[in-house]
Amino acid sequence: MSALEYSTSMSSGWLAKKITKENRVGFAILVVISIAFIYFAIATPNYLSVFNVKTIIRDAAIVGIMGIGLTFVTLSGNFFLLSMKETAALSIIVFAMGMSNDYGFIFSMLGAMSIAVLAGAFQGILIGLGGNPIIVTLGAAGILYGVASWWSDNLVIFFKRPHDAEWLGTGMVLGVPTITISFVIFAIIAELVLRKTSFGRQVYLVGANRAAGKATGHENLPMAIKTCIIASACCAFAAIAFSAQMSSAQANYFSSEFGSSGDLTILVIATVMVAGNSIMGGYGSVLRTSLGAVFISATDNLMVLQGFNSGARVLSVGLMIVLSILIFAYVRRDSRSEG
Amino acid sequence: MCDVTQGQRGKTMNLIKQKLTELDPDLLFAVILSLCVFSFFAFSNPLFFTLNAGFSIMERFAVLGLVGLALTLCIIAGEIDLSIGSNAALSAVIVVRLTDSMGAFPAIGIGVLCATLIGLAQGYLIAYLKVRAIVLTVGTLMLLRGVALFAADEKTVMLTDFRMTDFIQEKIWIFFSPASLLVILLFIIVGVFIKYTKYGREIYAIGGARKEAIASGVNLKRPMMIVFALSGFCAGMGGAIIGLRSGTAQPLALQYLLLAATVAAFIGGVNILGGKGSVIGAAVGVLTVNFLNTGLVYNVTPSYVVQIYLGVLLLIVIVFQTLSILYDKGKQRRLLLHDTALTKQKMMDAYKSVLK
Repeated sequence: MSALEYSTSMSSGWLAKKITKENRVGFAILVVISIAFIYFAIATPNYLSVFNVKTIIRDAAIVGIMGIGLTFVTLSGNFFLLSMKETAALSIIVFAMGMSNDYGFIFSMLGAMSIAVLAGAFQGILIGLGGNPIIVTLGAAGILYGVASWWSDNLVIFFKRPHDAEWLGTGMVLGVPTITISFVIFAIIAELVLRKTSFGRQVYLVGANRAAGKATGHENLPMAIKTCIIASACCAFAAIAFSAQMSSAQANYFSSEFGSSGDLTILVIATVMVAGNSIMGGYGSVLRTSLGAVFISATDNLMVLQGFNSGARVLSVGLMIVLSILIFAYVRRDSRSEG
Repeated sequence: MCDVTQGQRGKTMNLIKQKLTELDPDLLFAVILSLCVFSFFAFSNPLFFTLNAGFSIMERFAVLGLVGLALTLCIIAGEIDLSIGSNAALSAVIVVRLTDSMGAFPAIGIGVLCATLIGLAQGYLIAYLKVRAIVLTVGTLMLLRGVALFAADEKTVMLTDFRMTDFIQEKIWIFFSPASLLVILLFIIVGVFIKYTKYGREIYAIGGARKEAIASGVNLKRPMMIVFALSGFCAGMGGAIIGLRSGTAQPLALQYLLLAATVAAFIGGVNILGGKGSVIGAAVGVLTVNFLNTGLVYNVTPSYVVQIYLGVLLLIVIVFQTLSILYDKGKQRRLLLHDTALTKQKMMDAYKSVLK
C-alpha cells in the first residue's frame, strides 16, 4: 500500500471505510429500510410512547430468549434446530403439570429444564455424530410434539392464579416486566460467554472452520451437544415464562397461531437471520440476535397499529428473512467458499 | 434324474443370489420394511387388508407421493427444500379460490404454474447467490405462508359447489382415482428423466460431487433450477389435489407434509450427502409411510401419536445412515493407512538395496 493510498484511506472517515464497493447495495437497502421505518414510526400515533416501547421489548423477550439459545447452535456451524417450538411445547407441559400438582415453582422448573436438556443432548449427539441438523431436529420435533400432546391428552392444563411463578409471568421490577429483564440478562450473559470465555471462542472456531477446530482438538461432537443443550434450555425458560404468564399450558400453544405471526420456530430462526448472523457459522453475535428480535417485534407492532391483518404481518417477516438472506449472500458472495 | 434337478436347483439358486447381489441394498431394505409394516397391520387389523383400504392408501399416495418425490429430487441434488408445505398450501388456496369462477382445470393450471415459477426462482437464487437451499427455503417457508394468508384473506377458503371437483376421486379399476393415476404417471416420467437423460444425470452429479461436476463443465444453475422447479411443481400439484379433494384450503395447513415426506425420502434410500436415491425408492418409501399412516388411522390412533412414530422412524434411519457413513470413513482411512504403509515399506526396501 502506497503512502498516498494510506493517507486517503485514513482521511476518508469511518463510514466511507465501512461502505466498500461490495456492500454498497446492502447499505443502500439498509438506508431505505431505516428511512421508511423512521417515517412510519413518527407518522403512527402512539407508536413512540414509553408504554409502547416497553410493550415492543416485552413482546420480543420470549422469541428473543429462544433466539439467543439458537445463536449458539448457528454460530457453531450447525445451522438451526427445527425443534425449537416442540421443545418449548414439551417443557411447558411438564412445567404446567408440576405446577398444577403443587410441586412448586422450583421443582416444576427443574423438571421442565431437565426434560429440555435431555432432548437437547439427544439431538446434539446425533448432530455431532454427523447427522444433518435439519433432518435430525425435524424428526425430533415430531417426537417431542407427539409426546407433549400424548402426555397431556392434548388438553389445556390450568393451575390456579395465586401461584409462586407469578413474579416471572406477570411480575414487574421497578415498572419493567420481569421477562424483559431476564431477556436483557440472558443477552448480556450470552454475549459475555461468547466473547470472554474459552468456550465462547471455541464456538466461533468450530463454526468458522471445522477442520481447524478438529486439528486443534475441538471436535464438533461435544460442541454440538453443548450448544443444543443451551438452545433447548433457553426454549424451556421461554416456555416457563409463557406458561407463568398464561397460568395454563397446552401442547399447541407455540404452533401456528402463536402471536398470529406464523410458526414460532421460523420466527426464532428469523430473529437469528435478520440481523445478519452467518447461517454457515462462525460470524455473528448475540447482540445481533437481540436487535433482530426487537426489530421484528417493532415492525410487527407498527403494522398492528397501522391496522394490518396477520397475513400482511407474516408476509413482512418472511420478506425480512428473504431480503436479509439475499443481501448478506450477495455481499458475501465472492468472499465465502462453497459451503 | 436326481442329478439334473439338483443341478437346475443350484443354477436357479445362483441366479437368485446374483439377482440379490445386483439389487441396491437400500432399496431392498425399503421393500422389506414396507412389507413388514404392511403385514403387521394386515394381520393385526382385519379392516386393513381390504380393497377399500387399498383405495385409501392410493389416495394418500397421490399427495404424499408427490411431496416425497419432490423432496427426494432435492436431496439427490444435495439440498433440502423446506418450503414444500407452504408452496402446497399456497397452491391449494389459489386453486380453490379460482375453481368457482374458472372451472377446475384452468385453476389447477394457474396454481401449479405459480408453484413451479416459485420453485424456479428459488433454484435460480440458490445457484446464483451460492447459498445453501436450507437457508433460503426457511425464509420462503414463512414468505409463502404470508402470501397464502394474503391470497385467502386469512380465512379458510371453500368451494361453493362441491360437486364440481368430484371427478378427482372417482374410482377407476378398484384401487385408483384420476389423481393417483396422474401421480403414478408423473413418477414414471420423472424416473425416466433423472435416470436416462443428460439433464437428469446432472442432478445426481451436483449432488454427489458438486465441485467435480462444476469443474467438468456442468452449469450449476441449470440442474438447480430444474430440481427446484420440479419440486415446486410437485408441491403445487399435491396442494391442488388436497384442495380439490376436500373442497377447502387453509393457508396455515399442510405443515405435516414436510416430516412425512422426509421420512418417505429417507426410507427410500436417499443419502443426506446427495447423489444417491431413486424414484422407485421414493415410491416404496412413500408407500411405507402410507401403510403406517393408514394402519394407525384404522387402529384409531390420534394424529400426534402418528407423529411420534414418524419421528422415531426418521431418527432410526438417520442413525443407521450416519453410522454407515462413519464406518465408510473409517474403512477409507484404514485403507489409506494400509496403502501408505505399503509404499513406505517399498521405499525402505529400495533404500536398503541402494545402500547394499
